[in-house]
Amino acid sequence: MPGVSLKGLTRRYGDVAAVDDLSLEVKPGELVALLGPSGCGKTTTLRLVAGFLAPEAGEIWVGDRCLSSPVTVVPPERRRMAMIFQSYALWPHMTVAQNVAYGLRFKRGLAAADRDRRLAEMLRVVQLAGYEARYPGELSGGQQQRVAVARALVVEPEILLLDEPLSNLDANLREEMRFEIRRLHEAFGITTLYVTHDQAEAMVISDRIAVLERGRVAQIGTADEVFLQPRTRFVAEFIGKTNLVEGVALTADTVARGSVRLRIGGDGLVAGARVAVSIRPHDIALTDGAAPGVNALRGTVQRASFLGDSVDYQVQVADSDVVLRVAAPAGLRRRAGEAVGLSIDPAACIPLAATEERR
Amino acid sequence: MMPTAARVLVLLATLVVAGAAQAQDPRLDAARKEGKVVWYTSLALPSAEKVAKLFEAAYPGVKVEVHRTGSERILSRVMQELQANIKNADVVHTSDAGHFVLLKNKNLLMKHTPPGVEGFPAGFKDKDGFYYGLRATVSVIAYNTRAVPAAEAPRSWKDLLDPKWKGKMVTAHPGYSGVIATHVLALVNQYGWDYFKQLAQNRLMLVQSAVDPSGVVASGERVVAVDGGEYTFYQTKKKGNPLEIVYPKEGVPLIVSPTAITSFAPHPNAAKLFTDFSFSREVQQVMADSEGLYTGHPEVKYPADKPKLADLKLLSVDPEELEKRNEEIKRRFVEFFGA
Amino acid sequence: MSRVLTGELTRVGTPRRLAGIDRALPVWAAVVLALVFLMALPLGWLVWMSVGGGRGATLGHYRAVLDSPALMKALWNTVVLAFWVGLASVAVGTPLAWLTARTDLPGKGLIRSLVLASFVTPPFLGAFAWVMLAGPNAGLLNVLWRDATGATEPLVNIFTMSGLVFVVTIYTFPYVYIMVANTLALIASDLEEAAAILGAGRLTIARTVTLPMVAPALVSGFILAVLQALALFGSPAILALPAGFHTITTQIWSMFQYPPKLEMAAAVSMPLLLATALLLLVQKRLLGRRGYATVGGKGGQRRPIPLGAGRYPALLGSLAVMACAIFLPYGILARAALSRAWAQPLTWSNLTLGNFSFTFFEYSATQAAIVNTLELGIATATVGAVLVALLSYVTNRRLVLGHQLVAFLAMAPIVIPGVVLAVALFIAYTRPPFVLYGTLAILFVAYLTKEMPVGYAQSEATFRTIPPELEDAGRILGAGRLRILRDVTAPLARSGIIAAWCFIFIGVIRELSASIILFTPATKVMSVVIFDLKEEGQFGAIAVLGIAMLALTFATVALVQRVLGRDVLGVRE
Repeated sequence: MPGVSLKGLTRRYGDVAAVDDLSLEVKPGELVALLGPSGCGKTTTLRLVAGFLAPEAGEIWVGDRCLSSPVTVVPPERRRMAMIFQSYALWPHMTVAQNVAYGLRFKRGLAAADRDRRLAEMLRVVQLAGYEARYPGELSGGQQQRVAVARALVVEPEILLLDEPLSNLDANLREEMRFEIRRLHEAFGITTLYVTHDQAEAMVISDRIAVLERGRVAQIGTADEVFLQPRTRFVAEFIGKTNLVEGVALTADTVARGSVRLRIGGDGLVAGARVAVSIRPHDIALTDGAAPGVNALRGTVQRASFLGDSVDYQVQVADSDVVLRVAAPAGLRRRAGEAVGLSIDPAACIPLAATEERR
Repeated sequence: MMPTAARVLVLLATLVVAGAAQAQDPRLDAARKEGKVVWYTSLALPSAEKVAKLFEAAYPGVKVEVHRTGSERILSRVMQELQANIKNADVVHTSDAGHFVLLKNKNLLMKHTPPGVEGFPAGFKDKDGFYYGLRATVSVIAYNTRAVPAAEAPRSWKDLLDPKWKGKMVTAHPGYSGVIATHVLALVNQYGWDYFKQLAQNRLMLVQSAVDPSGVVASGERVVAVDGGEYTFYQTKKKGNPLEIVYPKEGVPLIVSPTAITSFAPHPNAAKLFTDFSFSREVQQVMADSEGLYTGHPEVKYPADKPKLADLKLLSVDPEELEKRNEEIKRRFVEFFGA
Repeated sequence: MSRVLTGELTRVGTPRRLAGIDRALPVWAAVVLALVFLMALPLGWLVWMSVGGGRGATLGHYRAVLDSPALMKALWNTVVLAFWVGLASVAVGTPLAWLTARTDLPGKGLIRSLVLASFVTPPFLGAFAWVMLAGPNAGLLNVLWRDATGATEPLVNIFTMSGLVFVVTIYTFPYVYIMVANTLALIASDLEEAAAILGAGRLTIARTVTLPMVAPALVSGFILAVLQALALFGSPAILALPAGFHTITTQIWSMFQYPPKLEMAAAVSMPLLLATALLLLVQKRLLGRRGYATVGGKGGQRRPIPLGAGRYPALLGSLAVMACAIFLPYGILARAALSRAWAQPLTWSNLTLGNFSFTFFEYSATQAAIVNTLELGIATATVGAVLVALLSYVTNRRLVLGHQLVAFLAMAPIVIPGVVLAVALFIAYTRPPFVLYGTLAILFVAYLTKEMPVGYAQSEATFRTIPPELEDAGRILGAGRLRILRDVTAPLARSGIIAAWCFIFIGVIRELSASIILFTPATKVMSVVIFDLKEEGQFGAIAVLGIAMLALTFATVALVQRVLGRDVLGVRE
């Protein structure tokens, strides 16, 4: 099972670089999610890997084969890949069996009996045994999606590409299918690139997440790393909710904004540098007591929204223009106007560059 | 001989003067009140329009509405309109003499004798006074001089049967044109239907109007026309086209084109005025000069380069026979030629 | 707007009944009356006439038709013509549609405009132009061929069945083009890419994925082309008659010569009518049942298929087709309009404006005909547009019980070939109580009946783009139904209705097959005058009038494009 190597890929649409000097290594058997908002270049990257687009600069290697370069592109039908489309792209004039078996006819050296065997086996795996003669128009959304999955897996591709395959399902089914896809990945172990804009999905499904911003990889890492240690404002804001307090570094480990002082974990700050501190809402505790070494602030509740299993507070920090969002367990309820104490562990205060370079 | 254009000018001048004098004609007031005369005519379009313009110049206030189509179509028109109780046509003029026998028998014509027709030959007059021959022509052979050297050109009707002309000839259609219907009957009387059966073997191109073959031959699309109104060939040749006319010695069918006023004419006075005008010596002379037609008028002079009717062997056709065999002519022609 | 054709209804509801009296009643009554007058009455007369017409019921006329070798031959010729035209239209229209709808062919916009031009060119004008191009001896192409190669035989002879098929095809293939292009526009690229990544090469994809999905549209287009070819009069009259063969339309027309054989004409018309109805039924079934577009989730983007090295050859091929339909014929028409003698070389001495002055000023029929054509065009289009707007609004909003029947009746005239309609109208309206023959009214009735379906289709599509919610939103705020019509519906529907007006107008000015039977000298229209001139061989005048007709047509088309803001062929971007 080969890995995929993207080296300095660039692809423009008009003056805009949809993919801008993007580099990424996918280890053999790994499932990497390409996560980002619309327009970040994730689908373009996927289509470059699939061979539907040619790069203007950079190369794509699969294993020891260079499949794409500005000079030459191996056409999609010879890249030994499979793709699951957002629309599933099932052929309405073919039955389920014909859809799934389509790719098998292009595999050399495969006897008819083997084809039939593989088809039957795959349908069983996706739990569509017995649906061979049905037409896509007769299936539910979830079933159609499974046909698309079966069609891609049955050809035993070297690389599997998925383009937001769950975005058309309703919420419950989506959650269920996330686990299903993860299970299939663990069963088959195919090197996979998975495009999505849903961070929860990315975190469940993937081994590593590549967060894309404006055609580049902003950060790549496991779900933990990306969530707990975001390296840029963009990543911090995109993955989960966060508070960003913009201030100036006083010392190597303290950031000040007005009268608010925040100690961060680590001590790599340069005094005088402008810093934005990222604090996740659920890392702020509503408490009057303050443990030593912990950031303690006082504030007034502006708004409290009861969400069932948690409460979402908006708290105005005393003597400051800082407003913090706090996610607290539902047990203790504070009302608007009440004074509260906020307690934040320095390890949860992640320093980031105050402004991102604009390119 | 004055050039044609000048002659027309003189005629116009004469007419204006005559018009002033004719202002006293009682029918003119009535005609002006009627406003127009509706003329169903098979005379070639430019010629018909010219006659109409001359009349309008001579009788200001009376318009001529020219409706030109093939003779056979004109009859269909008139009968169709009558069936729907539409009375539109004032003057009917076709080249199928049989039509007028039919119309007369159905009491659809008005008895009117234009002044001056007493001197016309017998073939130009209806003994009962309902219709008179406005013009005449003969049906002839014509060929394209660029494509056919004079030595190889057909000289007689029988020459046209030669297989060497296969795919090279054009004929007009008796289903459309009275000239051609007359021509076909004349030749059938001469040679029998077998002649046309054989002629059809040469895969002729079919056009409709007797005016059309001259254009076809002049353009070179086909190089020989086996029939057609001589006056159109003559005009085409005069315009400088590479065309030559052949008057077969065995005889050329003579087609006299009668004209009559309908019994139901909505503008009877205008109709009479127009009819008389068209038989006047001046107008008949114009028809001879610029349109290449023959007429029945004894005082009309013809261009020197046209053979005189008296010098040609003419094949005449009895109008009664033409009427009686009209359907047969069309049917058998279609039978041999396909359409 | 791509719709997922999985059988959902866009709007489920029972027909609305308004409070108090059923206000739909007068509408219903008016519609029924109109359709009776336009269709039922004439068709009734047609059937009656075909079985004897008052001289005792008899099947004798049908027997006479069967016994007549000339009629049987004409029928056969018609079938041959229609079949080959259908096939050829598919062969030409499908690749063109695929090239412009799915690939990165350069100059797509130009090709589409040319296909549109071909669509609105009256076939009889094209036939006439091709006589000048490919008459075996004097035709320009043959002359050039003979000059270049020294051959004696012509390169092409347009006065043959193949010539007729050729000319009809180049003006009929747009029907196939439109159907196929519209269907191709609905097929997402994903479907082809999914096949590609599984290993299928371009041809395999076209064969196993694309083609089956457009098959219903293909067959549908074939049928439409066949129907067009069946009903044509002008082209066969111009190309077949000189070659000595008839089609059924020219035969019917010739039955109107004196003495007229109306019973035979009626008896011949009936099978033509039944054949047309049958074909349309088949076509409707095909389209309705297997109209796949996309099935599944979102993502209906279409990405152009790269042609690679084939780009410019494909463009050349497309332009070659359009040269046959547009460049060559229009060119020769222009030349004939400006020449004294069209077959002579275009030298200074041959150039003249005399044709223009003759046609417009000296030929007395022209001005009257132009006036008649414009009057009829405007009247038919205006009445027609109002009528179809009303009808399609009523059926779209389901305001009347039996609205499906109304919709069916509005489209029903498409079943009647023009010449058959003319025969029926002639029989019906040359006798009391309604004698319309000899007036413009009979032409008006014929045109309205004939063009109603195309106007209806357009306005029906228009109302489908105006969701009823827009009207509901106003009504809930207090505006009455009529007020809503004025403030909301009419402004939104305006451009679509104008387009319907234009389509009807264009259809009227070029109509020949019904006009040629129903006209009288006092009620000539432009197409009839052109035909008359053809019978006299007045090429210059024909060219001038033909150009005038084309100019009028294109001006109207330009108006539609302005108003609709999009390609009038309705092919989606």
